[in-house]
Amino acid sequence: MSIPPENKKYELTFWEKIYIPELVKGLKLTLEQLLEKKFTRQYPEERWVPPPSFRGRPVLALEENGVERCVACGLCSRVCPALAIEVQAAETELEKERYPDLFEINMLRCIFCGFCEEVCPEEAIIMSDEYELAFSSREEAIFGKDKLLMPVDKLRPRLNYLHSQY
Amino acid sequence: MLDNTLTTREEIRDLGLRTEEMVLNMGPQHPSTHGVLRLELVLEGEIIRKVIPHIGYLHRCFEKHAENESYTQVIPYTDRLDYLASINNNHGYALGIERLMGIEVPERVEFIRVIMAELQRIASHLVAIGTYGMDIGAFTPFLYCFRDREHILDVFEKTCGARLLYNYIWIGGVSHDVYPDFVKDVADIVKILRPTIKELNDLLNYNKIFIDRTANIGILPADVAINFGCTGPMLRGSGVDFDLRRDDPYSIYDRFEWEVQVGKGEMGTVGDCWDRHMVRVWEMEESCKIIEQALESFPEGDVQSAIPRRVRPPKGEIYVRVENPRGELGYYIISDGTGTPFRVKGRAPGFSNLSVINEISKGYMVADVVAILGSIDIVLGEIDR
Ligand code: SF4
Ligand code: SF4
Repeated sequence: MSIPPENKKYELTFWEKIYIPELVKGLKLTLEQLLEKKFTRQYPEERWVPPPSFRGRPVLALEENGVERCVACGLCSRVCPALAIEVQAAETELEKERYPDLFEINMLRCIFCGFCEEVCPEEAIIMSDEYELAFSSREEAIFGKDKLLMPVDKLRPRLNYLHSQY
Repeated sequence: MLDNTLTTREEIRDLGLRTEEMVLNMGPQHPSTHGVLRLELVLEGEIIRKVIPHIGYLHRCFEKHAENESYTQVIPYTDRLDYLASINNNHGYALGIERLMGIEVPERVEFIRVIMAELQRIASHLVAIGTYGMDIGAFTPFLYCFRDREHILDVFEKTCGARLLYNYIWIGGVSHDVYPDFVKDVADIVKILRPTIKELNDLLNYNKIFIDRTANIGILPADVAINFGCTGPMLRGSGVDFDLRRDDPYSIYDRFEWEVQVGKGEMGTVGDCWDRHMVRVWEMEESCKIIEQALESFPEGDVQSAIPRRVRPPKGEIYVRVENPRGELGYYIISDGTGTPFRVKGRAPGFSNLSVINEISKGYMVADVVAILGSIDIVLGEIDR
């Protein structure tokens, strides 16, 4: 068993023995902070706007004419490391020929890696700036097309950012 | 003072009273176990006879997952090993695959990687220092540390879009180029950090109460540290001058001027909790130096030119090691020539560092376990993997 040696190198001076100067030192810093600018944010009232580089929850881009961009190629679901995406394709009369009949992202699985956005050939799946994700049940956390589709206009800043990158 | 208790024990026996060892469970939900760790303490009165760490509460099958994902898909999982040092984890993994495939990485990428890795090291040390102060009972430094860590996270966020799990360093490059103001922002951070380090020294590190709680506690002699495979600040705190960034240079660390900081036993004995703690504080300053030098010669270029279209390393195996804020992070990667790794083994520094806790806690008081555990600076994410 090791018995620790006595603290021999550090001898207390008289002032240190009475502890008060040490306390005053600490208090001085606290008082200085009173005068400084506030660093915190009053969150629910003061909202935080993420920069365009922010990777929030993935959404599907919805064009102005009400058609989603996705062509149901399934690349995003292949590349997703967390197996969060399920896509089922169906035929359509439109020019793009295929559209996702079912598109689900399990937000309990998603790890916000951004691979789906990176791989999508149509820029259809995009990381939005939404960061408030709370669910009261597991079923609620599986986002279908109703929750995923988002007008392209709202995604402009992110799209511009992506274009500047690649 | 501990000598007295020993004699007291003998005296108690002489009096014919019965003494008994007691087992106390600390954790898994204890605030100072830094995550879900359970320590089984065998006590005699207040004296510790044995500490048995029980791990595995945060096991997420990283290694098994890696066998079922493509090489690139493993990167987000490496983030989640040591979640306070994601960039360093990415870096090690990417280096391994690059060496397997023989990829030369552009100059600019190397610079970005080193700057990011050092920023991450500072951020990680800030958490370690802050939470350690809190373990000991000083709440304020914790807030100051987090305030300054925030600046670093902001830079990460603006660069790659995440604040904790970045998925930033990819095989052959980085996921996003840095933004135009990057150099200025990072230089500002360094400017902010220097006063913080001074502030921390004034408020916490040279505080009498703090020194009393940490000096001469949990002494880890150099030979024990080496035998148990301790690395990082844990090893350097014991006075062993070893840092992978200097002794097995990877990336471009050999181009910068900086010093490896070791514990000197200023306040007590070499290898005590105070030394380990101070090595982290000094290392922040060294990281600042590296960042400043890297910013001076920050080259232009394309950051994604070397990213391979498909990652399919030739048959073979490799062990890479990098200096993570907690020590030597190693990846042992076996490739069977397909698109998925055959095996990825992680060597977590925290695992070896934690294993020594029994050796260094024997004979101290119960309250000292908190101080000793905090000075090891564990992250359960990498220990349990
Ligand atoms: S979102 Fe993109 S990648 Fe995914 S199925 Fe649709 S088009 Fe393909
Ligand atoms: S962000 Fe990553 S985890 Fe989430 S859905 Fe996209 S690929 Fe999957």
